[in-house]
Amino acid sequence: MELRLAGLHHGYGDIEVLRGIDLDFPAGRIVCVVGPSGCGKSTMLRLIGGLERPERGEVVQTGEPPPGCLNPLTYIFQDFALLPWRTVEGNVRLVLEDHGFGRAEIAGIVDDVLTRTRLSEFRAAFPRQLSGGMKQRVAVARALAVSPAFLLMDEPLSALDAQTRELLLDDLVDLWARERFSAVYVTHNLREAVRLGHRVVVLSRRPGTVREVLKIDLPLDARAAHAGELETHRSRLWRLLRDEAQAADLELVDG
Amino acid sequence: MKRSILALLAAATALAGTALAADDKIKVGALRFTSHSASFIAFEKGYFKEAGLDVEFVYFQASAPMAVAIASGDIDYGVTAITGGLINLADKDAIKIVGGALHEEEGIDGSAILVSDAAFKDGVTSPAKLAGRSFGMTQTGSSFHYMASRIAEKEGFPISELKLKPLQKVGAIIGAIKSGQIDAWAIVPHIAKALAKGGAVHIIGWVNDYAPDYQVTTVFTSAENAANKRDLTERFLAAFSRGAADFNAALVDKTAGEDVAEETVKLIHKYVYTSRPYEKAAPSIRNGAMRLNEGAKLNLSSVQAQLDWFKAEGLVKGEIGIDKLVDGSYVETY
Amino acid sequence: MAERGDGGRPVAFRGGGFSPRPLGIVGPLVFLAVIAVWEAGCRAGLIPPLVLPAPSEALAALAHLVETGLLWQHLGASLQRLVLGWTCGTLLGIAVGFSIGLFSLARAGLAPVVAAIFPIPKIALLPLFVVWFGIGEGSKVATILFGTFFPTVVATYGGVDNVDRSLIRMGQSFGLSWLSIVRKIILPGALPAILPGFRISAAIAIVLLVAAEMIGAEFGVGAYILLAGSLMALDELLAGVAILSVMGLTVNWLIARTERFLLRWRT
Repeated sequence: MELRLAGLHHGYGDIEVLRGIDLDFPAGRIVCVVGPSGCGKSTMLRLIGGLERPERGEVVQTGEPPPGCLNPLTYIFQDFALLPWRTVEGNVRLVLEDHGFGRAEIAGIVDDVLTRTRLSEFRAAFPRQLSGGMKQRVAVARALAVSPAFLLMDEPLSALDAQTRELLLDDLVDLWARERFSAVYVTHNLREAVRLGHRVVVLSRRPGTVREVLKIDLPLDARAAHAGELETHRSRLWRLLRDEAQAADLELVDG
Repeated sequence: MKRSILALLAAATALAGTALAADDKIKVGALRFTSHSASFIAFEKGYFKEAGLDVEFVYFQASAPMAVAIASGDIDYGVTAITGGLINLADKDAIKIVGGALHEEEGIDGSAILVSDAAFKDGVTSPAKLAGRSFGMTQTGSSFHYMASRIAEKEGFPISELKLKPLQKVGAIIGAIKSGQIDAWAIVPHIAKALAKGGAVHIIGWVNDYAPDYQVTTVFTSAENAANKRDLTERFLAAFSRGAADFNAALVDKTAGEDVAEETVKLIHKYVYTSRPYEKAAPSIRNGAMRLNEGAKLNLSSVQAQLDWFKAEGLVKGEIGIDKLVDGSYVETY
Repeated sequence: MAERGDGGRPVAFRGGGFSPRPLGIVGPLVFLAVIAVWEAGCRAGLIPPLVLPAPSEALAALAHLVETGLLWQHLGASLQRLVLGWTCGTLLGIAVGFSIGLFSLARAGLAPVVAAIFPIPKIALLPLFVVWFGIGEGSKVATILFGTFFPTVVATYGGVDNVDRSLIRMGQSFGLSWLSIVRKIILPGALPAILPGFRISAAIAIVLLVAAEMIGAEFGVGAYILLAGSLMALDELLAGVAILSVMGLTVNWLIARTERFLLRWRT
């Protein structure tokens, strides 16, 4: 299954947030979206997943989701969005309960994803007992439980400290190597973008338009070893972004 | 000669003393009921003033708080029904009954026994048929409770056959009997007659047939006043009795003539049913005229009977005797 | 400040305080001391029985209630009214609170009505309840029901309003049904606000019990206290008040236990 944005346009009241976005999101690839703060990255992600209705243009889904997929477009949120009153296991079970599975089937899926994300021994823990990194791994496990066609990741590592972020980044690379999932990954961190993105979409400041789409052909699992090449990509992105970010920074919050 | 001059001088000083001495300030508790008219008349006609008493009325909504106010020293004299609270306060040496006021008397309309229209249509046409019916009262141990027990006793059924409903306020009981939520009640004649006139309730008997010579209200004061301020208490009772005598003559015996009766009703109207126009208040005041004890005499046997009943019901405790409740040295008892 | 050999001196300690530690034994000790002084004062005649009866007399009144079995009759009658009134008031309150929290129409229509009726002392409405529900159990249960209903509504819709919107969005993004979102996300999310509301409504229910039992009640702790008051039987009055206090403490303890169980996921 693939996704395509055609002439996407959105605003809140008088403020125009996105203008004329045309983009393709291929299957089995991670597309990173970067841009200065307030450029509409997160808005775009909400439009893609159907949590908001675009003013103009459309989000088109081509091809069928893979068999066994319960929730084709599945989010991973910056603030994890775990239910604090459910255990790790309960949080994963939550997204399976509305699909008419039997107890045993649900338990099977939960066991499977917890093993895949190496969370089995924490299954009875409440979110408050977990570190930020662990919480985000639970959120990833929950997303995997519904076998999504696309993962929509909204700055998933931003709430974590630098070391945890590094560890989780490696985890995501490993995960992609095994699962070959498709994802839209919104971030403001350029290092994350060049580590994870098969493509990096650069948005301009508000109203957000596509400034450039950077292709990085280096395989994900080989990137750790090619720090130099990644750094080149990163500084190129930064040059693109710097003026935009500066201009965005000088704008008054209320416009 | 010398001696007579001295005597004269002494008399003159005594006179001057009387004239110059400020009146004794006292506070008298009252309910805005016709049955409290003796105090109102004594005040309006200056009987208290003549007795050297500067009276200030303190008004209450019910009898029980008045007894408490005497015990706490907030008021000096009060007139109210004998309640469990009053007896218990007497037991704690706080208050004493010193005279009588309102009482039931053969031949004068007293408290009536009422039933709701629904109960009446259901066949409760005489007090004998009250067994198994609900009966309204303000509180357990109130005069209404006592009247209910007298009726039950004389009609020969146990008091437990009456479903007694404590409703706290007279207004609440009136509402309840009008709407048929309770079956029966016993109440002073002016309220009973006014209710019966509307057709919502029916009078099926008279309390006097069940509790003859019932001493409904008494005059009482603090134990301290009764024991140590004899002069003050005597003056109060004397002035109060003059008010009672005027009331009886004008409205109970009707020996004073219609003009005096009219004048008395007008006077009482200043205190009772003040929110109603005179034309509407006058019949209620006249209807409510029950005998006030002449000379504040006290029916000791009725008081004794009430005390015995309170003890038997377990509403007052201990071995309180009539001597602790009543100071009989002020007025004639019978 | 002492000079040290090296010419330096320790920095003065300025922190501490402002964090009361739990001293479990102090509360009961103060309680016992007050009662002991009170009893001694009564025995020595410093406190006349008219002003305040001795604690031992109140205890004797309580013992009398237990011996005669009247205690259970009073407690039974009161608890029945409390449980019925509080349960119905709470369930209705939660239902209305949820409607106000979830539906724009209910919010626009009901929230102002609730805000208008909430501050009315329900005791003032007692005569109305008597007319509507009679002098039997109806008006008593209704008084308690009305008293507990409004605080529960306010606590519930406040709780629903405060549920983390990102959790609701998460539920929607996983395609959960509306009912699942309400049951599994909004209800548990509002619980931390609803449960403290229970404490308040339970306290109000006990306060209203005395008022409710003013009308036509033969048995009940409130009726017992009212009767003791009108008879000036101060020892019985204190015994009754003590029973109410114990009822309040028990209810509080039960709710605290429930809270600890249902909200064990919180820190």
